[in-house]
Amino acid sequence: MTIRNPKDFWAGLMFMAFGAAFVVGALGTPAFLDSLWGGPILQGYQLGSAVRMGPAYFPAALGGILVLLGAVIFLRSLASRLKGEAVKLHLPFGLLDLVVVAAVFAVLGEIAERLGISKDYAMLASAAVMAVLAAVFRPDAKPIAMILASSLAFAYLLVPLGLVLATVALVFVGAFGGHEFRWKEVTILTAVLVVFSVLVFVEGLTLPFPICPAFVTNCPIH
Amino acid sequence: MHDIVHNLGIGFVEVFKLQSIALGGLTIPDVPFNILMCLVGVLLGTLIGVLPGIGPVATIAMLLPVTFKLSPVGALIMLAGIYYGAQYGGSTTAILVNIPGEASSVVTCIDGYQMARQGRAGPALAVAALGSFFAGCVSTLIVAMFAPPLAEVALKFGPWEYFSLMVLGLVSAVVLAHGSLIKAIAMVILGLLLGLVGTDVNSGVLRFTFGLSELADGIGFVTVAMGMFGVCEIIANLEQKEGREIFTKKVSHLWPSREDWKRMWAPILRGTALGSALGILPGGGALLASFGAYTLEKKVSKYSHEFGKGAIEGVASPESANNAGAQTSFIPLLTLGIPSNAVMALMIGAMMIQGISPGPQVMSEKPALFWGMITSMWVGNLMLIVLNLPLIGMWIKLLTVPYRILYPSILVFMAVGVFSISNQPFDCFLMSLFGLLGYICVRLECEPAPLILGFILGPLMEEHLRRAMLLARGDAMSFLQKPISAGFLVASVVLLAAIALPALRKKREEAFAAEE
Repeated sequence: MTIRNPKDFWAGLMFMAFGAAFVVGALGTPAFLDSLWGGPILQGYQLGSAVRMGPAYFPAALGGILVLLGAVIFLRSLASRLKGEAVKLHLPFGLLDLVVVAAVFAVLGEIAERLGISKDYAMLASAAVMAVLAAVFRPDAKPIAMILASSLAFAYLLVPLGLVLATVALVFVGAFGGHEFRWKEVTILTAVLVVFSVLVFVEGLTLPFPICPAFVTNCPIH
Repeated sequence: MHDIVHNLGIGFVEVFKLQSIALGGLTIPDVPFNILMCLVGVLLGTLIGVLPGIGPVATIAMLLPVTFKLSPVGALIMLAGIYYGAQYGGSTTAILVNIPGEASSVVTCIDGYQMARQGRAGPALAVAALGSFFAGCVSTLIVAMFAPPLAEVALKFGPWEYFSLMVLGLVSAVVLAHGSLIKAIAMVILGLLLGLVGTDVNSGVLRFTFGLSELADGIGFVTVAMGMFGVCEIIANLEQKEGREIFTKKVSHLWPSREDWKRMWAPILRGTALGSALGILPGGGALLASFGAYTLEKKVSKYSHEFGKGAIEGVASPESANNAGAQTSFIPLLTLGIPSNAVMALMIGAMMIQGISPGPQVMSEKPALFWGMITSMWVGNLMLIVLNLPLIGMWIKLLTVPYRILYPSILVFMAVGVFSISNQPFDCFLMSLFGLLGYICVRLECEPAPLILGFILGPLMEEHLRRAMLLARGDAMSFLQKPISAGFLVASVVLLAAIALPALRKKREEAFAAEE
């Protein structure tokens, strides 16, 4: 079997997966799976009745509709008569790549948990692994990997390292995602953005961000 | 008539009010704060309108956390200014670079750029600005006239009417989305479901939170909007090869000729009328208005053979329409509390941040806020015409800033904005996740805009559905027994059925194909 319309094929699968996840999340895992497992895997919420709807009612109904719509899109893709550029899917990564990245986040998070380290470091490490993997194996996915990694780097570095260094990390990692990387230009841009963020966000709008790294005891800027 | 003058009077007093503000520990007395916020809004709006690759949705989302610190009136005036300001700025880029600076100026590219190539960039820019200004003035009056009676009707709405109205709103959003109808419906439902994450208000049960305390209050709207629009836009722009061709010939003699004046006034009137009407529709707004106006003008104009070769009508009409549509789309928001597009959904978020629950009661409970906001639109339009005609040179210079400088700056704003919502890194993680989801959706040709609308309406819809069913003792027919509610539902069904008809579907596809 050939996939005639990959865009609809994957969109249908995605909607079915989301719909099913919400149905299972609302109602709990089906009884036959529970019995195979030997106990309830996931407990749902109360369904209620049409008069007194419980927390599961609305999401389960919508999830069901989403599964149906996904199925229609999926089946339609198999019978699609569209050809050429219109149905061509341009994605710089595949489902497997997504699974690998998700696994990296899960495994590193689990390791951090076992070792008793803050999960924030696991997130940072995972973002770094994702960026390196993309740069090495999926050059086309470099923009998306770098942009996502840069905002993760900023988020998880802000508290331990302060606004200045977090902004430096954000701009540099983000700039690696572009077409060309000019050291001088990026350095100047970083300097401007650091000064701007400190003045506007911390001084002007009084956002409670640390400016210097946590280990620096007497920060020159307050 | 007397009422309108009185109400606009309240608005003017509010807009020009002097107040003391606190800035970093200092208190400055007697500052015309609201008018300053209006200026900031329209400046920002023009800026992002001119710059391709960043739209009003991402900008307003970025600034939402900042508005925590502002007064409600100032914050809303500024955010509104961004939306209609972007309609002015978008035409500049469309005319000079042949790239829509803003989605709603896509059709302006067609004739505007041709005019620029014929050395008539000046008149093209002038007609866009003048048309927008005229449309802005008229639609401000329309908002002032139609909002009060509509709000009065809306006060009588029960849960049935609200639920059915939201269904109609979502259906219209779906019909107006690009591409496949069924995918757009699926995106709306996914949005509704994502909106339900968090604590269920009726039972207090935590739903779909994976045991994460960060999700107990639900997924932040700003986080979703920034991920699906902001992050996603940056990635999509980076994947395109850079290499914009900029039309940097000196723009001279702005003022249109006598012949131009004669040809442009009728299209401006038609564009304003159509734009105002399409803006009010749920699911409408600036984008739909500009497309509709261009198509209409092509049909009725004496010069239809010149369209595509630099017809001034092809600039005048859509540019008036998009500004009119941008402003009248505030009507459903201000009177019903229901957003008609993604920008209005963000405005709801802004109102909620300020502790105002959007709905028909806003007008009677907070008249200064309501009328201040409407009056500010007129004042803002006045500022915009000054910003866009005499100061046009400044914006043209801005077009030469390369994207590689621009996007890291946008990233800093987004990351800081999202982090500051609750001061924890988890929101930035969610933003990245939604950036990824948005990117995948765009590649699979599923529009993110319906998802956003569903996301904001999800909890409201569930709430009204539950209340309606409880009051009607589980009788679903009650939605059809209330005349207004039944009307909304019938309208939704008719819309869906109409669009599913082969003939009309073809028309809709043609309309969207024209844009690409």
